[in-house]
Amino acid sequence: MNPAVFEIGKFARLTVIWLSIIFGAVWAACWAVGVFAPALINASGMPTETASLASEVLRALVPVVAVAVFIPINAMFMVLCERRALALFTVRKGPNRVGPDGLLQTAADAVKLLFKEDITPHGADAVMFTAAPIIFFAPSIIGVLPLLAAASGNHELFRSVNLPTGIFYVLAIASIPVVGIVMGGWASNNKYSLVGALRSAAQAISYEIPLVLSIVAVCLMAGTLDVVKIADQQKDSLLSWNIFGGGALLPYVNLVVAGLQGNNEQVQAIMQHFQAQPLGPFAAVLMVVCCIIFFGIYITGACAEVNRIPFDLPEAESELVSGYNTEYSGIKFAIFFLAEFTNLFVVCSIASIMFLGGGHAPLPGLEQGFTEMLGGILKQLPGSKEIFSPGWLINSLVNPSTVSQAFWIILKTYSLVIFAILIRATLPRFRIDQLMAFGWKRLIPLSLILLIALTYLRELV
Amino acid sequence: MAPEKIEALTSTRLKTDEMIINMGPQHPATHGVLRLLLTLDGEFVKHVEPVVGHLHRAQEWQGQNRTWFQYQALIDRVDYLSGMFTSWAMARAAEKVDGCQVPLRGEYMRVIVSEMNRITSHLLWLGTYGIDLGAMFGFPFYPFREREKLLDLLEAISGQRMMFNYIRIGGVQSEAPPGWFAKVSEFVKEFPDRVDEYEAILTNNPIFIKRTKGVGILKKQLALDYGVTGPSLRASGVPLDLRKTKPYSVYDRLKFEVPIHEGDGDTFDRYVLRVKEMRESNEILRQCLEQIPGGTADELRERRKACNSCGKADCSNCGGDLMIMAKKQNAGLRIKAGEGFDAIESPRGILGCYIISTGGDTAYRFKWRNPSFCNLAALPDLLIDHPIADIMAIFGSIDVILPDVDR
Repeated sequence: MNPAVFEIGKFARLTVIWLSIIFGAVWAACWAVGVFAPALINASGMPTETASLASEVLRALVPVVAVAVFIPINAMFMVLCERRALALFTVRKGPNRVGPDGLLQTAADAVKLLFKEDITPHGADAVMFTAAPIIFFAPSIIGVLPLLAAASGNHELFRSVNLPTGIFYVLAIASIPVVGIVMGGWASNNKYSLVGALRSAAQAISYEIPLVLSIVAVCLMAGTLDVVKIADQQKDSLLSWNIFGGGALLPYVNLVVAGLQGNNEQVQAIMQHFQAQPLGPFAAVLMVVCCIIFFGIYITGACAEVNRIPFDLPEAESELVSGYNTEYSGIKFAIFFLAEFTNLFVVCSIASIMFLGGGHAPLPGLEQGFTEMLGGILKQLPGSKEIFSPGWLINSLVNPSTVSQAFWIILKTYSLVIFAILIRATLPRFRIDQLMAFGWKRLIPLSLILLIALTYLRELV
Repeated sequence: MAPEKIEALTSTRLKTDEMIINMGPQHPATHGVLRLLLTLDGEFVKHVEPVVGHLHRAQEWQGQNRTWFQYQALIDRVDYLSGMFTSWAMARAAEKVDGCQVPLRGEYMRVIVSEMNRITSHLLWLGTYGIDLGAMFGFPFYPFREREKLLDLLEAISGQRMMFNYIRIGGVQSEAPPGWFAKVSEFVKEFPDRVDEYEAILTNNPIFIKRTKGVGILKKQLALDYGVTGPSLRASGVPLDLRKTKPYSVYDRLKFEVPIHEGDGDTFDRYVLRVKEMRESNEILRQCLEQIPGGTADELRERRKACNSCGKADCSNCGGDLMIMAKKQNAGLRIKAGEGFDAIESPRGILGCYIISTGGDTAYRFKWRNPSFCNLAALPDLLIDHPIADIMAIFGSIDVILPDVDR
């Protein structure tokens, strides 16, 4: 067999195994806390008030449990995935020694980092030095909470963390980590760290503007800041995704479909709609173009936001040794490392919820068909009403619509993650002045112009 | 606000200090142990002082205290990326003093292995230059893939991957193993495609061009003043290549171009020039494989079955042009009394060796002219007023190897 195909197969197998472990574990933990434990309490014969209070508290804890379980193991997998994918892109093998196929490599690395000596350099500000990784990491945990609701298809256990202004909250939280970087760089008492931290501050300020503007464009089209609603608006098919104009093209596609089917009444109805909007088709196409460019701007801004190549200037290894985290070792370095990958995951999941339809399938009917099929199988299980019976267990564990949503959002988010890895494997790094010029002279004017264009175009469609 | 008020604000209250920063010797991108004392104004370099000598191993002194035979094995370590060339320079200088004539097949073998070594050296440069520019994980491994093939071949013929000790005083150490020539021709055939691959990634990459064009311009006169040689000099418009201007060995029998860039060269020109040089080296290899007297080692072995590999100098299958070694190699190797200098074109520039021999088994005096040392001298002038990020772009582009600087 072609060795490249063999390696790709291995990588795919590894990814599937790891993702099943991660999401299986997360869901098992959530289920244990949010479904099983309350059922146990109810069945234990406690006084009703106490039992319902305890169940309420446990259910409220579910999102926290989900995040606490998910983030470390997900970051561990992403490190492994990145190393294996980079190896694939660069004619190497990658980690393949620890555990089967190198599955346990990052676990081994994590253990190594935990046992390393925690060094505070001479002359460093010890309090700030310790606080920096925490301030860097904490926002990525807090920030993913509203996304949970959107990613799980507004599952009842995660409904409580959904905010009416969800995306606003996520973006606000996402701009905190740079404070941690600046603190770490300043407190390290190292000139390389300081230069890296200052670069990071400048970069974050410049690239947050186009990033936010691209999200504003999506919110403008959706008319809401609620991530669950934004995701739901894109549920019909590929064409209603925000990257393709949020359904701007749908009437025209419907016209073509109706024309092909010979459904004259529908054609007439749609044509009447067009007579009211003569510029409609033109505006719709322009709008799709705008949205695709906005998606590109978002990805660029996100790469800069999470300090990935080609925007990894704060930790430019060939210039600044390791930038802001030069002096960090052991667990503190591990936290920086963890947070970086979590941030990458967060920006990718924001992109898939805001632009790529969240947990909805790209083709109409796919999602519904799957849900009905799985629901039919589950219904046939015996004794599904009885509590603690195998049927009850399966039914409470597997929710067809959540499974489908989770599948699609994982697929989309990890596709974006692997795209980011591909970029990393391809491009050299910008220089700081070129980076600034690109941000302020190209991206920001472009996104402002597009935003204004989009404002008018959506009136015309 | 009145202009004088602005003036007062900016010049006095917002006065900023210059920062002195020590880049190296333990810096991940200084290609070894160079220490650069930088004075920075913000991100911009105001003054540079290279501090060399961290890897000084007294190579010349060692040469004067070891026998010729021992020192031959040591000298590959001076420039560990192009060991063949250091061996060759010393061998040529010693042969000049001794007056021994290297057989033609030996000369061809020297050119073949050296040009292979030149390609490996340029490939390593290409990969690490990608790292210097921040392409940390992707690009660098592609050149290394081909470099690995060449190193395997060099290991097969010399027994070592990098410290070859293959070119000896009087010729080369051994005949190629079976199948070696076929593998080299296979490599020569596929290599131009591989170079196209690297160029597809880098030459038209907008970020790469932005980072390299107009950066670190080495003026022709400055290069000549500092004694810069090799590709860095040729990229600044001076057509100095000893293989062409003062042909040694069998280079006068080979047809090849020396790539030149007209006008003052920047880092991009130096990159382009090295890539072209790899293609030329490949061309030289191809010609050598065709021209080498006696053909491949396998053919020669077949021929030598007739005379049972007698090894006599007057045998038509073993002697004359078909020999590879003219001087007996043993621990008591001696060079006739006298002094001599010879220089060759290494991947980094002109590599010269000066020898005084008193006729004993050790040299009286060794002196090396190393290209990296002279090339490095031009670095401070190139770096002034460039941002930190360009330090590595420029330093990488002049292709310095630190053991070669410090000896």
